[in-house]
Parts: sequence; structure tokens; C-alpha cells
Amino acid sequence: MTSIILEARDLRYQYPRGMEAIRGISFHVRRGEKVALVGPNGAGKSTLLFMFNGMLRPDSGMLLFDNRPLAYDRDSLRELRRRVGFVFQNPDRQIIAPTVWQDVAYGPVNLGLPDDRVRAAVEAALGAVGLAGFDRRPPHQLSSGEKKRVALAGVLAMDPDLLVLDEPTNALDPAGSEDIMELLDELREKGKTVFISTHDVELAYPWADRVILLRGGEILREDSPEVAFGDAGLVRKARLSVPLLLDLHRELERRGLSLAGRRPRTVLELVQAVEQATRKAGVRPPCGTIHVCDVDMTGREALAGWLSSHDGISIGAMGTRAKQRAATEGLPLDFSSGVIDKCILKALNGRSSLILTVGGMVAQVERRVALFREESGADIGVRRLGEA
Amino acid sequence: MFEELLEDIAQSNGLREVNPYLKLAAALGAILLCLLSTSWVAPLAIALLLSLGVLLLARVEPRTYAKLFIAPLSFALVSVLVILLVTGGSGPLWAWNPLPWLSLSLTRESVGEAALVLARMIGGMSALIFLAVTTPMTDLFLVMRQCRLPETVLDLAMMIYRAIFLILDQLVQTYQAQRMRLGYSSFGESVRSLSTLCGSVFIGSWFAGEDLVRAMEARCSAGKFAMLGRIQPVEARPLLAVTAFLAVSAAIVALTGDVTAMQGVP
Repeated sequence: MTSIILEARDLRYQYPRGMEAIRGISFHVRRGEKVALVGPNGAGKSTLLFMFNGMLRPDSGMLLFDNRPLAYDRDSLRELRRRVGFVFQNPDRQIIAPTVWQDVAYGPVNLGLPDDRVRAAVEAALGAVGLAGFDRRPPHQLSSGEKKRVALAGVLAMDPDLLVLDEPTNALDPAGSEDIMELLDELREKGKTVFISTHDVELAYPWADRVILLRGGEILREDSPEVAFGDAGLVRKARLSVPLLLDLHRELERRGLSLAGRRPRTVLELVQAVEQATRKAGVRPPCGTIHVCDVDMTGREALAGWLSSHDGISIGAMGTRAKQRAATEGLPLDFSSGVIDKCILKALNGRSSLILTVGGMVAQVERRVALFREESGADIGVRRLGEA
Repeated sequence: MFEELLEDIAQSNGLREVNPYLKLAAALGAILLCLLSTSWVAPLAIALLLSLGVLLLARVEPRTYAKLFIAPLSFALVSVLVILLVTGGSGPLWAWNPLPWLSLSLTRESVGEAALVLARMIGGMSALIFLAVTTPMTDLFLVMRQCRLPETVLDLAMMIYRAIFLILDQLVQTYQAQRMRLGYSSFGESVRSLSTLCGSVFIGSWFAGEDLVRAMEARCSAGKFAMLGRIQPVEARPLLAVTAFLAVSAAIVALTGDVTAMQGVP
């Protein structure tokens, strides 16, 4: 049973001289969950987020963090802000110090940690976001994606339990957005709870465990993504759009294709449903194999040797360190997000692939593929590199 | 209007990894020696050595380096011209009285004085440019803190440093938007555009300041500014290079002490 980390009870907030921005909102977030707050511009998303770390105080209603009502005295707020890491929409507004290192150290220093612990926290945070070695760079020379990572590292350095990100992929290019979202997945694996606000439906749909549709300061719907976005009328009312996958799924069903199972969250799920609906019994091409390489355990020569004997294989990288390794060795990546799914899709097509990753994520790949094998009956092999 | 910033050159120059104290010692030492020198030879020699350092070791583009020199040099030349014509001396080589109360003359002394001042200026400028293009501000902050500069001053300096780039960014954007709509097509238009530019940048930086306070609060501010990162270690080769540079320069200063500009001219 997972416990509740954040709970809102009938929150209301009115800006001075303005209309009511938040009009009676209640919801809760469980530990380890990925929640997306989705709504059009001006729905009150940022206003609501600013309440989570006490930057704004609701006019009425109550917020509970870790089952305790928020207190608004100085010390409680500091403790709250340590545990609720807030990443602003515009990283330029969040980055304070003249160098990356100093900026990430800002939080820990102000918490009064001793020097050696500050150093350790900064190093760990920069490593986690893939910016090791950026210590002395000034922020104005970084790209938007890198600035976003610095802002995130600055928050991670305080080791928060809940990460709140306001429009995390705003102003990022598609690859940069994918990187950030994957980074958030990695952080969730490390036990953080992640709460984002966005108006990007395609981004929230496959990523979130749960979505909260917000409009005009009120919650329209709070449910799993395939249910919340499945209601076309509601989605239109919220000035959003139905995710492409759901749209496609619905159109296929309207054309008489009976698709089994729940509504698809990913391309893989949709492909699988379509295949099951259209395949003649017993005919299945042989599946490809997914090779997994732990880049920390495999040397440069070993990897290069392996690749030269598997010419033309598709390569995917999972996780920040694996991507860095691929970049330093000049390996062309075919996939850098949703890697496991894409490799399973390849395997279903009878093609093999290689996943570069680190540590615990190797087991994660094996688990995910085993689960898929069980569900679908497709015989996809997973082999660790270096094993006979 | 918006060229490469000095700070950006410094952030990526070839001597970036050298300990900032060494670079500071080279630059300050050079300025001191230029002032001590009584001959025009030594400052020029120092300028030559430092320029070679900037071009070959720091690998700054020669064009960029030349441009950095031109602006201050034009000021220097004007002041040297005044010294040249106004300084008195015995036995003028050339004289002209255009007005009853104004006499311009060239003398041995004035030529010598002007040459020395010009040489010192060039030497000093090359030392400052050397420091500016090899040592980014972010490294100098470390030095300032270790030199016990008051924390408040330093914190303020660091925030200003960060704000400069944000405000500059906004300035560039607004300026370009104005130019695209012909905001600087005539003199009157330019005056008006410039004033709105200043106004909007001021308002923008005001908001940025409020955001800064909010950001600091959200990040558990307790009024402490971040600790400083690591400083580059002193390595043997740069240490030797700086020592050798200062020693050679000092020797030149000592040996050329009585060489003057008009030597050999009867």
C-alpha cells in the first residue's frame, strides 16, 4: 500500500483585484506516482503548483504534505521547500549563480550543510542530470535543454521527495523534451514522486500514471490517461486535443476492427492489438533478439568488437550515462526514448537490437520483455552482452 | 552592435585551465614593470611577449585581438599627440606658432616623453587584455573571495554578473524587434526608439528581479550565497612560464633603462 504524499482539500485562491484562479480543488498524489496536471493556458496550473511549496497560500482549503497540514512559518517553509523541489518554467528565472557548480550548490549551502556534503550533493545531482564536467560553465552559454537540467540539478541537490515541474518541456526541441521526460522516469525509479504541469497532451499521455484535467480553476477530470483523454467532449471542453494514439484506436474500432484489451498507451500496445485482431492463427515470423549492454561493465574495445560482428544492428540508449557513453564513442543511436518498446517492436518484426544502459536498468529491460512475452506469447530473447 | 563578448572568449581560451593567480601575477607584474621602466623598449617588449601568449597559447583569433587593441589605442594616440606637441624642452626640432598664445613644438624631450607614454600604454593595455581574455570573471570571483573581499560586495557582484547576460539578452531582442519595424530609420525615430528600449529593459529587469527573489525563496534561501567551486591547481609548467616571463621582462627593464627615443639623433 503506497502512502499519500500530497493532498489538497477544497483549495481556493483569488489574485488581488482578480477573478478566482483556483475554485475548490481537491486531489491527492501517492508516493512514487507520476502525475500530470493538464490544462489550457490560464487554467490555473502554475497558480496551483505554487501552492505545493508554499509560495502561494490558498485563501481557503487545506494542503497536506506527508499527511501534515502545511505551516507557513519560516522554518516549516524551508523544510517544505527542501522536500518539495520546484522547477520553474523558465530556467533563466531559476538559475541564480554565475557558474553551474555554484548554482547547484545554492540550495545545499543555504540549508547549512557542511562543505564536504555540499560537494557530494552537487556532484551527485550533476551526475544524475548528465552534466558532470559542466562545473565552471556560466549558465548563459548553455542550451535551453542544459539550462533546464541545471535547474533540475539545483533542486535535486536538496534531495527532495516530490518534484514539481511547471511546463518542463516548454521551449525545448523534441529531442530535448524526450531527454527530460526520460530523466524524470529515471528519477521516479530512484523513488521520487513527480508532478508536472503541461498543455502538451502527447507528452502527458504515455508518460503519466494519472492525469488531472484542469480548466478555469476547476478539475474537469482526474483519472488514468486513457480514460481522462478518452472523453472527446471533455477534452474539447478543456481546449486540448485527443492524443493521436487514442484517436487512431477509436477510428480503427469504428471501422469494425475489434481490438482487444484496454486502450493503447503506446505504439507497441496499439500494434500488438492490431496484430492480434488481424493475424491468422499460428503464423508468426520468428522474433529477433534484444541484446542488453551494461556500459559500466563493458570496455570500449569489447563493445566495438561486438558491434563490428553485428553490422547494421539498431542501437538504443536508456539513461543519461548510457547516452553520454554513446556520444563519446560516436555510436549512432536509433532510439533514445521509449527504447524498450521500440526494441520489442523491432524484435516482433524479426530484427535484433542492442540496448545500452547501466546497472539496475538491465534487469528492468529483462523484466519488461519477460512481461511482454507472457502477455503476448511472442518468443523474444533477451541476452546480456558478454554472456555466451 | 552585438559582437562576441570578451567573457565568452575567456570561457573557452587555451589558458582556461591555468591557475588564475598565475595569470593575475603575470598581468599585474607586467603593468608594474611597464610603470617602472624608464625606456620605451621594455614596455613594447612586454607587450610583444604577452601578445604572443594571447595569440599562441590562449589561441585568440588575431582579428579579434587586433580589434580589442584598436579602440583604446585610438584614445592613447590622441593623448600622446598632445604630449608630443605641448611638452617643452631645450632646442626645438620643429616649432609653429599659429596663434599668439599657442606654440606647438617638437623637442628631444617631448619626443622621448611621448614615446615612453605610448609604450607604457601599449604595455599596460596588452596586460589587461591578456587578463581579460584568459581569465573569466567566474574565476576572478574565486580569487576575490580568497582575498577576503567582503561577502556582500562579492554576492552582489555575482548576481550582477548573472543579470548582465539576462538583461543583455532582452536588450538584443527588443532592439532587433525595433529595427525590424524600422525603429532606427531616422534621427528622431532613433531617439524615440532608444528611449522606449531603455524603458522596456528597465521594466523587464524589474520583473526579473522579482522573479529572482521568488527563485531564491523556492530554493530555501537563508541569505547565503553559494560557496565557490574548486580553483585550478598551480601546475609546474605555467608557474615556470610566468616566472620566466617576469624575469625576462624585469631584465629588459633593467638593461634598457637609459635607452631613449631620440638616441643617436644629434
